[in-house]
Amino acid sequence: MRRIALLALTVLVWCIPCFADNTAVAALQRLEAAVAADPENLRAASDYRMAVIQAGAYDRSLEFFEKLVAAHPQAANAWLNFGYAYVDKIPAAGSITQVILANNALTQFSKSIEIRKSWLALFTRGNSYLYWPKVFGRAPLGVADLEEAVAIARKEEKKKGVYARSFIALGDGYWKTDQLDKAKAVWQEGLQLFPGDPQLQARLARADRAEELETYINEQLDPNKRVDTNLLPLVEAD
Amino acid sequence: MARRLALWAVLAALPGLSGAAAGAGALRFEEIGGAAGARIHHHTHKFSGKHADVLGMFTAGGASSAAADFDNDGDLDLFVVDSDAGKPHHLLRNDLVPSGKLAFNDVAAAAGVTGGNDPKSIVADALWLDADNDGHRDLLLARFGTPLLFRNQANGTFEDVSASSGLDKFGNSIAAIAFDYDNDGRLDLVLGNYFPPVNLIDLPTPHVLPDNLDDAKNGGGVTLWRNVTAPGTGKIRFSEVTEKAGLSRHTGWTLDAGHADFDNDGDQDLYLAGDYGTDRLFFNNGDGTFRDATKEAIGLDTKKGMNVDVADYDRDGWLDVYVTNITDEYMKECNMLWHNNGDGTFTDLSKETGTCNTLWGWAAKFADFDNDGWEDLFAANGLRSASRENYIPVLVEMIIRPGVDFTDVNSWPAIGDMSWSGYQKKKLFKNLGDQTFKEISAEARVDNDRDGRGVAVADFDNDGRLDFYQTNADQEALFYRNISEGTGHWIELHLVGTKSNRDAIGARVTVRAGIQTWIREVNGGNGYASQSATRLHFGLGAAGKVDSIEIRWPSGLKEKVSAPLDRITTVQEGKGT
Repeated sequence: MRRIALLALTVLVWCIPCFADNTAVAALQRLEAAVAADPENLRAASDYRMAVIQAGAYDRSLEFFEKLVAAHPQAANAWLNFGYAYVDKIPAAGSITQVILANNALTQFSKSIEIRKSWLALFTRGNSYLYWPKVFGRAPLGVADLEEAVAIARKEEKKKGVYARSFIALGDGYWKTDQLDKAKAVWQEGLQLFPGDPQLQARLARADRAEELETYINEQLDPNKRVDTNLLPLVEAD
Repeated sequence: MARRLALWAVLAALPGLSGAAAGAGALRFEEIGGAAGARIHHHTHKFSGKHADVLGMFTAGGASSAAADFDNDGDLDLFVVDSDAGKPHHLLRNDLVPSGKLAFNDVAAAAGVTGGNDPKSIVADALWLDADNDGHRDLLLARFGTPLLFRNQANGTFEDVSASSGLDKFGNSIAAIAFDYDNDGRLDLVLGNYFPPVNLIDLPTPHVLPDNLDDAKNGGGVTLWRNVTAPGTGKIRFSEVTEKAGLSRHTGWTLDAGHADFDNDGDQDLYLAGDYGTDRLFFNNGDGTFRDATKEAIGLDTKKGMNVDVADYDRDGWLDVYVTNITDEYMKECNMLWHNNGDGTFTDLSKETGTCNTLWGWAAKFADFDNDGWEDLFAANGLRSASRENYIPVLVEMIIRPGVDFTDVNSWPAIGDMSWSGYQKKKLFKNLGDQTFKEISAEARVDNDRDGRGVAVADFDNDGRLDFYQTNADQEALFYRNISEGTGHWIELHLVGTKSNRDAIGARVTVRAGIQTWIREVNGGNGYASQSATRLHFGLGAAGKVDSIEIRWPSGLKEKVSAPLDRITTVQEGKGT
């Protein structure tokens, strides 16, 4: 009897990882079903990608979104999340694979913009360009997108808090293209619209100390650090 | 780990233990290559045909040198490799004059060791080892081809014994180290192979490049050659035991290999630096086999490993490892300073110690250049210095092309006259004795911007201050003589094995002075594209006397010896000083 109990315990202990694995897989399947049912739903797709990050199931996610956009080629937000799925994998990849993933992300963001030019898509692609080292000359492309995103933000009557991000990023883009005066101006404009924003304050506090500003912005745009791609704050502010 | 660090912090606070308290003067070097007759120009192999440009780019690594006293006259000589077809190597005999002035004479032709760059082979590394334990160091040349072995005939000449040595396997070898993995008293060889074993000069297929740029598995791996020379016969023989020893499953792009007793169990373990993918750490099982401990000891990495050097940089009694990778504007990998935790695992402390960024890394060597009792670190760097045009944007266009086949030589854009991580200033890190280093290359006058490759460290003028020789790809080498003033006391030990291998490679020496302890091991070629002297140099800082010197020979014999300060002392196994 004791031997049977011991055996049962052994099986149970041995299977705990199986249960955990099965639970994670089941959760991903559930979330995938939700996204597939509503491909434009940013919240559902974001929830799914957050679960993917936790499980480290990046390739599964890429495969899922590839099928999703094939089935729904006009779903701009599906393309956007497909791009974010590439971004999610970047910190887990080697330095050269990071370049490939980042480029693939840009391709998907561009498809999203082709379908619908939203503030979110323009901000996303523009900000992504800024992560590329200067030698690749992509920062001017980022500035162009971010100028459009900021223009949208300026026109909106309701100044959503998330719009501050486009002012921050556009200033970073100007800084990366050696236009410090324009960078300062857009950060200052952002701070007037979004008083107390800590990121804008941090940049402006360093604006006259070149080395400090460089260190700070480079830390913010470090491709080895995981970028927060949770879209919920953006969706909730909508 | 935490307890060891805490103890260390307490000890470091004691007077006389930190570098600052040791009274060491400023580190200074003078470049004397021209004056000393050691300004050797290296040439990379010039390929022909439509793949010439790309293959040249991938094989621009073999500028190397090896330091040893080949003629047993008491000073250290240098062998300097060339790599282009028909170009001779250089055997720089040290004709040190009593005044201490360094003068080298190239005796390679007379010695019969100029050859190796034949129409089908490229020489990439050199290694001195006494393969037959006759008291005269023989010379191994690692090639993109089959290795060459020259037996020292003890009369200033060498005999090419490659054909009868058993070293008959083709490989694209770029690294060679010698150590006695089975502690049988004979030096064995590890050859680190970069490309898979295809002849690049007569390319049978264009698919010879890495199959993945972060996790390549189609490289040359390593080969392990057991020395089976019968004692007293003078006929050097090696037998390949890679598979038997458990090393054949490693198929990465090996750029460097290093050995040491990492787990303090008396046998030599092996660290392999892999380009385009993970490094590997193998612990010696003590029965002629190795155990791949990579996952649990250091984890799998995706970096571009270039160099393996070993030292107990923090003097905690465990040997640590320094690996260079690529850190530049476009790729921020960071080097790895593997702190040995003493439990079979290592922690990368390169960021914490300030040794993370040496740009496009190549050789990096630990050495106590100012004799303050703490091992400093010199790192060579720089890939290709040419025009102002940058190859990186061109290369990235290829990398991001959908469906590109990296293995195909035809996929890679020509580099022409473009630069790639060129004109990089070398890095000299002074060990501050508090687990951090300070970069001082400009004030020490070693901040050259050549395309560095190998670094051979040795006390060439026998003045108790370590000098070094920096080889550069397609450029002249640089010879840095150490002229630092106010350096601390030192001892230098030349170990001679009797039961152990004659070069005493693998011997560990523990020196104690008061509450201070230093350990060093004799190594057979650690560090990329270079072999430093096997004499063990100990800077003693402010210590005015040595309390004990204990040697653990590879044979297992433990022996206590004595040695006077500020002198080079020869110690024979079992006979003391």
